[in-house]
Amino acid sequence: MKKWIVYLVLLTVTFAACKKEDTVFDKSPDERINGALASYQQTLQSAASGWKATITTGTGGIYNFHFRFADNNRVFMYSDFNVTTAGTEKESSYRLKALQQPVLIFDTYSYIHLLGDPDGNVNGGADGEGLLTDFEFAIDTVYADSIILTGRYYQTHLRLERAEAADYTAWQNGVWESNVQFQNISNILEYFKRFTLGGVTYDIIVDPITRTVSFIWFAGNAQRSFTTTYYFDRTGVVLTNPFVNGTTTIRTFTDIKWNATTRQISMQVNSNNVIVAGANAPIRVDLNAPQRWYNTVAASDEYWGSYDGFHVNGVDDAYKVTQIPGYAFMVFWPAFGSSGGTTYDLLGFVTQTNAGLTLGFGAGYNAPTFTSDGKIVFTVLGVLGDVPTEAEDAFYNTASRMTDPSGYYLVQTGSSSYDMVAASNARAWIHWER
Amino acid sequence: MKNYLHIVIVTLFWLSLAGCKKDNITGSADDIPGLGGDTWTQTEIDSWLYDNFTKPYNTDVKYKWSQSELVDVNRFVTPVDEAKVVPIMKCLDSILISPYETVAGADFMRRYLPRFIILFGSAAYEADGTRVQGQAEGEGRILLFELNNFRVKGMVGYLSEDSVGAKRLFHIIEHEFGHTLHGNIMYPVDFKTITGSYTTNWYNYTDGQANEKGFISNYAMSGPDDDFVETLSILLVEGQTSFENLLNTISSEEGKTALAQKAATVRDYMRNAWNIDFATLQKQTRTAIERYTK
Repeated sequence: MKKWIVYLVLLTVTFAACKKEDTVFDKSPDERINGALASYQQTLQSAASGWKATITTGTGGIYNFHFRFADNNRVFMYSDFNVTTAGTEKESSYRLKALQQPVLIFDTYSYIHLLGDPDGNVNGGADGEGLLTDFEFAIDTVYADSIILTGRYYQTHLRLERAEAADYTAWQNGVWESNVQFQNISNILEYFKRFTLGGVTYDIIVDPITRTVSFIWFAGNAQRSFTTTYYFDRTGVVLTNPFVNGTTTIRTFTDIKWNATTRQISMQVNSNNVIVAGANAPIRVDLNAPQRWYNTVAASDEYWGSYDGFHVNGVDDAYKVTQIPGYAFMVFWPAFGSSGGTTYDLLGFVTQTNAGLTLGFGAGYNAPTFTSDGKIVFTVLGVLGDVPTEAEDAFYNTASRMTDPSGYYLVQTGSSSYDMVAASNARAWIHWER
Repeated sequence: MKNYLHIVIVTLFWLSLAGCKKDNITGSADDIPGLGGDTWTQTEIDSWLYDNFTKPYNTDVKYKWSQSELVDVNRFVTPVDEAKVVPIMKCLDSILISPYETVAGADFMRRYLPRFIILFGSAAYEADGTRVQGQAEGEGRILLFELNNFRVKGMVGYLSEDSVGAKRLFHIIEHEFGHTLHGNIMYPVDFKTITGSYTTNWYNYTDGQANEKGFISNYAMSGPDDDFVETLSILLVEGQTSFENLLNTISSEEGKTALAQKAATVRDYMRNAWNIDFATLQKQTRTAIERYTK
């Protein structure tokens, strides 16, 4: 009897296992994926004026692209990454490939790779990360006029939209190139960049790396500030969050023109022509800032630190302090020690040695003078320690830049950070933080 | 009766299994996408590489992006700029292939040039902050990184400081090819004990500190194989005079002796294993490099 049951079960199982699944599809997976790739290829190359796309990087910046795909694995690209990429169309290669799903790969270097390049010097991101943006995209959905893709490494969202002829000609005619010159505001030599609108004077700070813009102004005696991200479109610059001050609202800057000779930007704001130009002093000098800066650390025998050294005449780290062998950072240390009965402040250079971080050499300054018009003036006392030969240029240039007879303004940029700006012409400054 | 039934049931069972043979694979194996490697419309670069590397050396130079070519597939690396491909491969030809062919005969590189040379635009950044600039995997594959910054004399925008980067690449090429050499014929085992004291924390030492300990560079401290090929490649790229100058800067007598002994081992190895006159190879390589950097 038992045997019967075994046989019965066996039989049932075999027949059940034998149930033939009718294939849902009329073609094999390989045929279907080849068909999909061919139809995607057709769609990509079918756009006569190419495709437009907006990419939000993993670090939050918004970048625009224009792609034209040819049938021979060649792609032509514009991008508003910088003035060059917005003005010159670059040819490179692409291919469609079946990985776990159909994938569009920009397989040789072009503008889209600038965003994700792990070399921070390329895009201002961290080394090893860049702006966290893909160049290999899985194709999710293809509509007649748009294609939705997702990056395979950082999951960057990419939406290609069929471009109109006017979109393409805007790139070709240098409209985007001109718009991107808005970022030249950060190339104005003076620390203070300024414009006037509706009777109010604004300082403007543009950070091209994070694509943020800040406005600083005074309402009565109170200093106000506003920061937002921005992005470009065909007409100019768009503020992600509109800027509102009383009756003035700024959403866009249009008709942007950079004058390389005068280093000024002219643009339209709400049908007003506005000039952004350098200025050599704050809108209002923060009279107590120098004492505040000095006393904050003096009170607790601490110091201010700076990594990049002085920015002078448009050059970051003009004296190349970061290239001193083993350089770690610079410090300003009030009342560091005394020499011959004189208490001195120290501008010290910290380097990495076999013994760890070492404050090896520096310049001593007499106690600073605080002027009634809000400046701090340093006078040198002497050199402390042995300056290594390879650090001499960086050291002496930096040490003597400090003793600018016109002194420095201090601009508080955060709860524990200040910028120290040369009062002579505002074309040299150094960032302090702790 | 029972037996009879038994046979019937077992037969039925086997028949049913046989009847179950599935025969519904449609399509042909030729349809499998990507089988035999990726294809694309050939360009001038492709035909140049075919004529100068694939045909003479059976070496496939891969410059189009493929994540799977990376040894560590979890790294985010960018592809190489097309404009750099031919200039870089021309350099590789004149600083590596030609010198070896001159001293070891025309067949040498046909036999030993790696089967694949794979090019990348950026470096591969490691979690510890170091950058991978070159890799040799087995003897068949050489990976070269950080090529988008590559500029040599005669290229648009070349500055004298670019020669540092160019020489770095030449060094890496010689280094990785050195791995191919010792992968085929091992260097004398005594080499490993000249200094010993290898460490995975090599990047905590400067080149100067490594010299004092008898290593030609800090990376040479990472292991005997790398020590050997670092010694080989720096002797080739910097030349004999520069090596002797380096020896004279070493204050530790022990370090100086050890490093000189390593260089001598390299020289003997090239003679005994490959019948290569090292001094000639050094001169040939150095002359080629100077053409690109001075």
